[in-house]
Amino acid sequence: MKQKKTLLTLIAILILFVFVFIADQTLDSYKMRILNLCAIYVILGLSMNLINGFTGLFSLGHAGFMAVGAYTTAILTMPDIVKTQNFFMTPMMKPLDTLHVPFFLALLAGGILAGVVGYLIGAPALRLRGDYLAIATLGFAEIIRVVFTNTQSITNGALGLKGIPVSTNIWWTFGLALVTVLIIGSLINSSYGRAFKAIREDEIAAESMGINLFKHKVIAFTIGAFFAGIGGGLLGSLLGTIDPLMFRFFLTFNVLLIIILGGMGSITGTIISAIIITIGGEALRFLDESMTIGSLVIPGISGMRMVVFSALLMIVVIFFNHGIMGTKEFTWDGLFAKFAKKPLAKGGNKQ
Amino acid sequence: MKLLKVENVSMIFGGLTAVKEFNLELNQGEIVALIGPNGAGKTTAFNVITGVYTPTIGHVSYKEKNITGQRPDQITKQGIARTFQNIRLFKDLSVLDNVLIANHLHLKSNFLEATFKLPRYRREEKQILEKSLNLLEKVGLKDAQGEKASSLPYGKQRRLEIARALATNPTILLLDEPAAGMNPKETDDLTEFIRQIRDDFKLSIFMIEHHMQVVMGISDRIIVFDYGVTIAEGNPYEIQNNQKVIEAYLGVAEDYA
Repeated sequence: MKQKKTLLTLIAILILFVFVFIADQTLDSYKMRILNLCAIYVILGLSMNLINGFTGLFSLGHAGFMAVGAYTTAILTMPDIVKTQNFFMTPMMKPLDTLHVPFFLALLAGGILAGVVGYLIGAPALRLRGDYLAIATLGFAEIIRVVFTNTQSITNGALGLKGIPVSTNIWWTFGLALVTVLIIGSLINSSYGRAFKAIREDEIAAESMGINLFKHKVIAFTIGAFFAGIGGGLLGSLLGTIDPLMFRFFLTFNVLLIIILGGMGSITGTIISAIIITIGGEALRFLDESMTIGSLVIPGISGMRMVVFSALLMIVVIFFNHGIMGTKEFTWDGLFAKFAKKPLAKGGNKQ
Repeated sequence: MKLLKVENVSMIFGGLTAVKEFNLELNQGEIVALIGPNGAGKTTAFNVITGVYTPTIGHVSYKEKNITGQRPDQITKQGIARTFQNIRLFKDLSVLDNVLIANHLHLKSNFLEATFKLPRYRREEKQILEKSLNLLEKVGLKDAQGEKASSLPYGKQRRLEIARALATNPTILLLDEPAAGMNPKETDDLTEFIRQIRDDFKLSIFMIEHHMQVVMGISDRIIVFDYGVTIAEGNPYEIQNNQKVIEAYLGVAEDYA
């Protein structure tokens, strides 16, 4: 039975890659970009869900970690000539201006650096609880953004970085999204994952059961920051241009929307809702343009689709406060159970 | 050797002395009960021993080692486990998960070994699972292992909380009102259960309890608290006949004179 499930998982992964291959061959660049964004948001959603959903830490610092990952990856992959073009105001700092590494190593460096920043922020901030933690992490994310705006010789300040080599493709995004799902899934189902959930359920009881609260919170926070850095790096190299304004609270809000809609504490829910929100965001673009209904002309208001998302978030929070999946996960057993029921119902109708 | 020694502990919150000059010595295999009217400072005394509070004055030592001021998780790791007055299970997790979590403190593998399922972690995980299932069988909850902890009936939730505490491999178990809200039948079962786990797991037990039937039935010694002060200490017979205890519980009779 266990072997059968592993086989099914392998088949599912194979199907995913066949899909990626076909998409890569047939879809136009606009649709490809949406698919890439879906996968990146899966990574971002999972990284935030590890912190907020599974460990129950209300953190709003995600955009900061993404910025660290995005800038690191961008700086490490940009060719020298592009760097000199970008840094026309203040020349770039010495070793950085000629430093570059392969894309994958740059991403990894971005993730690790984001993890280090996560650790440094987490160590003081995780002594706080609930709302206070949210405010502190939000503040730290803003600090990172402000620092990046002012470190001219490293990040090019408010001008941002342009002409980042677009190394991200669908194989990278889907491949890394899969790796993220497998790693975070495996962590969550280990003894450490159970400890995280225990902290979410009841800190006092968890501590009395011998769980070192601080250590486990820092572990979850750092791993979350690491994957946020990877996601940020992918995003930067998909868009080809980044600037500090991109990493405002709004970006954190987007990811938060995904995990709340999908279910705090569900990997499956995060995947589903990352796809829904990303595709939905594009599909609703018509709301931002001017519309003609009969003889009525509604002028386009940019940002109108975000109103829809905000309303959606409110509806979810009020009426379905567990999101799409709650804390439930997709399992092969669950799927079998559903299929097992169906033939029975059909058998009844055949008479 | 004294397993647990509480010496002259006082806990003061602002102007309120919740516990005053509390002393306790707990020997191997003993069951000691702490009783007293509501608000007498019993749970505060528990919180001082388990590290939730650091005492204002005095020390707590375990196996002759000073543990005053250590964090609750450090104290649990050394062998003092507890339950809570108002049950604090991990409600949304399964019965089995609740017990598995309590094994985490002895896990030697780090989170990378756990994530990538390296051999040492797999070996440990297997042991933890076996041990937890054994424990659930002993407390009669094996059939309910897959259920959500919050879906269990009250009496079983109490049992699960004790099982979870036992999973941390304690030598001392602190029970905070284990019989609260139980009917007479459940209370009898519980008394038997406490005796049984004391013998099976070679425990010393320190408990807070209001049910006199339980207290008098299983305690070797009883300590009586009133307004944070120890007003009596002795075996059940001595306590039942102690004038001060009767006054604390029933009031003084002079009004009727």
